[in-house]
Amino acid sequence: MRVLVVEDDASLNRQIVAALTDAGYVVDKAFDGEEGQFLGETEPYDCVILDLGLPKTDGVSVLSAWRREGKVMPVLILTARDRWSEKVQAFDAGADDYVTKPFHVEELLARVRALVRRAAGHATSEIVCGRVTLDTRAGRVLVDDMPVKLTSHEYRLLAYMIHHKGRIVSRAELTEHLYDQDFDRDSNTIEVFVGRLRKKLGVDVIKTMRGLGYVVEEGA
Amino acid sequence: MRLRLPERPLAKRSIAVRLAVSALFWSGVILVGAGIVLVALYRDATERGFDSRLLVHATTLGSQVATGREALVAGDPLFELPFSGFYWQVGVPGASLRDLDTSRSLVGAMLPWLDGPQAALGTVRTGYVVGPDGRSLRAVERTLAAGEGARFTVLVAAPADEITGDVRRFALALAATFAALGLLLGLSTLLQIRFGLRPLARLRAAVVAIRRGDAETVSGDYPHDIAPLAGEINLLIGSNRDILERARTQVGNLAHALKTPLSVLVNEARAGGGALAEVVEAEAETMRRQIGYYLDRARAAAQVGTLGTVTPVAPVAASLMRAFAKIHAAKRLDLALEAPEEARFRGEKQDLEEMLGNLLDNAAKWAASRVVLRAEASGDAERPRLLLIVEDDGPGVPADRRAEMVERGKRLDETVPGSGLGLSIVADLAALYRGSLTLGESAMGGLKATLDLPGDVG
Repeated sequence: MRVLVVEDDASLNRQIVAALTDAGYVVDKAFDGEEGQFLGETEPYDCVILDLGLPKTDGVSVLSAWRREGKVMPVLILTARDRWSEKVQAFDAGADDYVTKPFHVEELLARVRALVRRAAGHATSEIVCGRVTLDTRAGRVLVDDMPVKLTSHEYRLLAYMIHHKGRIVSRAELTEHLYDQDFDRDSNTIEVFVGRLRKKLGVDVIKTMRGLGYVVEEGA
Repeated sequence: MRLRLPERPLAKRSIAVRLAVSALFWSGVILVGAGIVLVALYRDATERGFDSRLLVHATTLGSQVATGREALVAGDPLFELPFSGFYWQVGVPGASLRDLDTSRSLVGAMLPWLDGPQAALGTVRTGYVVGPDGRSLRAVERTLAAGEGARFTVLVAAPADEITGDVRRFALALAATFAALGLLLGLSTLLQIRFGLRPLARLRAAVVAIRRGDAETVSGDYPHDIAPLAGEINLLIGSNRDILERARTQVGNLAHALKTPLSVLVNEARAGGGALAEVVEAEAETMRRQIGYYLDRARAAAQVGTLGTVTPVAPVAASLMRAFAKIHAAKRLDLALEAPEEARFRGEKQDLEEMLGNLLDNAAKWAASRVVLRAEASGDAERPRLLLIVEDDGPGVPADRRAEMVERGKRLDETVPGSGLGLSIVADLAALYRGSLTLGESAMGGLKATLDLPGDVG
């Protein structure tokens, strides 16, 4: 799961990035509207955390620009202004949820989780795939109700696949969503992780579609 | 017009009173002066008429003396009647009674001659003398030649009552006329003052309306002598509003700018843990509350100049509905909007958004599956009102606790996040528009919040 954080306050940006990274997300960060808008336009994100009061270009303009270009990733708004007139503006521009400053990072994480799930069409925090259960809230994976220990990379890969179950996910897409923009993309590592995951889960939940990528089947 | 005159210097009373007092004073002075002059002129004319009548008798007597007639007779029988008040005497002033010829009516008495030296030949003198019975008499003296250089004087007198009575009657009639005139003048002055000062009264009413918040600026046409004043008032209001707006924006900016570092502090402290974290978090919470409080106050102070603005309800409500559909996407709420396109709120868009936003937020948090927003017309054609009703199918609030919800800072259930000020802000905002927020029970089972606001439905 790849998340973009656009927040001009360096300390808050660092805190959010740290919390998201701890929670297993791949995080890119931007400190002003221009940089944020560019990243949002060029990189595929599963969720964006966007401050409204940004230097250079304000949050609402950035968001409107994204939506005009057909970018549909869920966007969570950070706002210091708690009047509805400001929030409504952001929602009209295409926001999906908001968090009012000051906030606890835990609350922000919960909202991001919910947004990512919703975007993939899942209503609950637990996504079940046959014998495998992904608990997005706790950030763990269960097989036959027994927790399986996964590294953060492995968890990220499995979580992305399960969020998009029933759809073929290419190696390139996985790379884009599992690594930040600076990562040296080598699709072989994906194969290595998929192999390890299959071994740890002991269940053949991820199927290889030769030449296309991988798929987690809907009813598997 | 009130003419109570309490102990206050004239300078501090109203312009109308100043004008009225000075107009009454000066018209009084002028009327009295005119009266005095007119009475004097009338007296003069009356005396001259009277004198000319007496002179006829004096001339008759004089010619009788000149022709040497023994028994002098004036042409009027009143001169024969004892002490009738009509007298004549002929002789040389200073001579004794024996050497005088007198009318019978004098019955041997003698009238005093007019004061001063004897008049020149052929001239006439007039004046007042006192008769034998003490009555005031009008007298005419004529000096004539009687041969051999001798000269004699004819004096004819008649009661002065006739003159004084005439003059008195005239003066009374004049006084009555002038009194009526004064009264009419006073009335017309008052009318003129009211008419002339009407623009000032309008200006005053306009300023009062601004103070009450019924108007934003002084509007309308004023005569050119006070038009600059109206203009200045508008400029002053404008600059005052600008200053206020700037101050408010800065308070807002400061408060909002503080929220980001506050977030950082709280999260950093949490990450660190320990006693320091607790202190930091408690203090940060206090700061957050303070910021919220002052933002609220700045907001409440911002509710000026709301006259004339009209906000269509449907687009605002639709925007909010879309936002809440997203915010509560997980609950899959059925958000229904039943507002006619023509429904309009008489006030600022931001305030409508704030009120509806808070009500819908509250309803959406508690609703099990359904939230309804309805807009209805209320009131009469004179004072149209708009009812905005938000209902949900949540658990609702017991009747005895509903009042608490609209009090400042009350939060009934701490488990649902929110500032706790939501509904009280709505009540405050509604009150600023002379409206109200009432809470009741919905037929759907949950809370029914009704906003009564100025507005109409087409």
